[in-house]
Amino acid sequence: MPEIFQNLALGFSVAMTPANLGFALVGCLVGTLIGVLPGIGPVATVAMLLPLTFYLEPTSGLIMLAGIFYGAQYGGSTTAILVNLPGETSSVVTCIDGHQMAKQGRAGAALATAALGSFFAGCVSTLLIALFSPPLAKVGQSFGAPEYFSLMALGLIAAVVLAHGSVMKAVAMVILGLLLGLVGTDGNTGGQRFTFGLVTLADGIGFVPVAIGVFGVGEIIANLVRGEETRSLVQTKITRLWPTKEEFKLAWPAVVRGTSLGSILGVLPGGGAVLSSFAAYAFEKKIARDPSRFGRGAIEGVAGPESANNAGAQTSFIPMLTLGLPGNAVMALMIGALTIHGIQPGPQVMTERPTLFWGMIASMWIGNLMLVIINLPLIGIWVQLLKVPYRVLYLAILLFCAIGVYTVGNNTLDVIITAIFGVLGYVFIRLECEPAPMLLGFVLGPLMEENLRRAMRISGGDPMIFVNRPISLGLLIAAAILLVIVAVPAIRSKREEAFQES
Amino acid sequence: MSVGLDTTGPSRVPYYLRKNVIAGLMFIAVAALGLFLSRNYPVGTALRMGTGYVPRLLCWVLGGLGVLSVIQGVLVPGESVISEDASSPWRPIAFVTLSILIFAFTIETLGVVIATALLVVIGALAGRDLRPLEVALTGIVLIVLTVATFVWGLGLTIPIWPEW
Repeated sequence: MPEIFQNLALGFSVAMTPANLGFALVGCLVGTLIGVLPGIGPVATVAMLLPLTFYLEPTSGLIMLAGIFYGAQYGGSTTAILVNLPGETSSVVTCIDGHQMAKQGRAGAALATAALGSFFAGCVSTLLIALFSPPLAKVGQSFGAPEYFSLMALGLIAAVVLAHGSVMKAVAMVILGLLLGLVGTDGNTGGQRFTFGLVTLADGIGFVPVAIGVFGVGEIIANLVRGEETRSLVQTKITRLWPTKEEFKLAWPAVVRGTSLGSILGVLPGGGAVLSSFAAYAFEKKIARDPSRFGRGAIEGVAGPESANNAGAQTSFIPMLTLGLPGNAVMALMIGALTIHGIQPGPQVMTERPTLFWGMIASMWIGNLMLVIINLPLIGIWVQLLKVPYRVLYLAILLFCAIGVYTVGNNTLDVIITAIFGVLGYVFIRLECEPAPMLLGFVLGPLMEENLRRAMRISGGDPMIFVNRPISLGLLIAAAILLVIVAVPAIRSKREEAFQES
Repeated sequence: MSVGLDTTGPSRVPYYLRKNVIAGLMFIAVAALGLFLSRNYPVGTALRMGTGYVPRLLCWVLGGLGVLSVIQGVLVPGESVISEDASSPWRPIAFVTLSILIFAFTIETLGVVIATALLVVIGALAGRDLRPLEVALTGIVLIVLTVATFVWGLGLTIPIWPEW
């Protein structure tokens, strides 16, 4: 137990340096800024700002990225409540009751509930990360190549099962991502793969161009095709910021429930903020004494999902930090950022770079505190931002995508690749093929191949090694069970229901 | 996320327009391209995997999934790729892509000011209502911001103006 306090003390000593406090603040501000704006999600935000953090040292860079990530979560709920437009997918359900509350003149209460609920969830999940990461990393350290391969297979399958949309297409997207990850020089044999003879492709397709192309540029095209949405900004002045006593009584148990649900779902691969908030809303509605209040401004409908999405967003760091396993697209970006900084993600990060590991965890709590302070008093400024029309906004996003990609390696081919993946990203959206599993596959592809090869060398080419090792077998059985579960019609319909709550 | 049913109903959608069919064809095409490109890569054995082992394996799986997706799309009525409430995608696709490509080709030769201006102007053509004055203003603001953050702030070695 005291070890935890030692670790956290180390973390806070890193996170509290003026420079890192500054980077956390900048991250939170920029994240909120972009999160407030509809039409650009946290994945695109993090991808777009990724290049900026390469100029920082790794710890500061990750602190800023994490700040951007949960800043975007917070900002998304503001838009959901005030404009009835989810700034992010994870705040889709917040629109339902949050905007109703705003229409009834209770916008202040809804915003305060969202912010305070998120803060509570942030505190709890930061503690959970600190508690559970060391034992998990220890388990990870005992893993050999076969276990790692099976773990990644489980991670990818779980990501597919828990993502929404067709499972078969999601599996195909994972494979597509794995294939894209193989482009470049084969590390073992030195052979060139899919490089078209281009020297710049010998190092593989950059991670940043793919992410920015698919999630940034692809989204822009989709938004332009869809056309400008009508925004109904609630014009009434936000007078009282604090919930009434009755509202508070209803809200706090929902916050606790949302936090628990989100913390658990966040750890699962494929989980994270989106799944957590949808599940929490469905849960609140189910256990409410009078479910008909939902959709008409029930405060639990804001408190539950908002706490859950923040808890889920944060606990999804656990498998990423301890095992190097990204559970969702944002975590895949984090892994990419680590790799670009020259840090091999995995259980050794905690022991080899304790300042980075614990500094980042401590900065999460600090970031959450900053966000409450940023959000509540500054709400007026964020609302003003919503007046910027999309036809101006997308030009700025487009420019930022292009120049961001260019600055990563001063390489114009990267910019061209971004354009190609932008079109692909739009095609994926149009065909309802989820791009997130592709990004996971892209990041994990080379690692999986490496571990597969190592495992085969250990076993002398016998694939039974994956079944003969108990941990590996357990992971594979879990993956198989997951696949069977989605195939069962009753569960499948339940899964679709969870994603269509509204 | 909920799917709005159009009046014609998904069963009336010809199978070649269904999303699952087209997605399946896309996967098959990628797999075929991958298999073609990797036709000369040494495959090796499971013990000593060659350059082509994993890529070819993945291509076969991807192709298989593509076939399954096409079959499912043909058998089970699904949504059409053409939706009535969205406008034609070609204009945004063409101009967004073009603006990025031109940026890529001009940034090193013509400098960040001209490259940014071109990106903004061509990018603006992707939208539906074009307001020249607004675009010009946006362009100027963005150029100033870009030069300030990236060249002066981060100290990148991008030329600001063309080098004669």
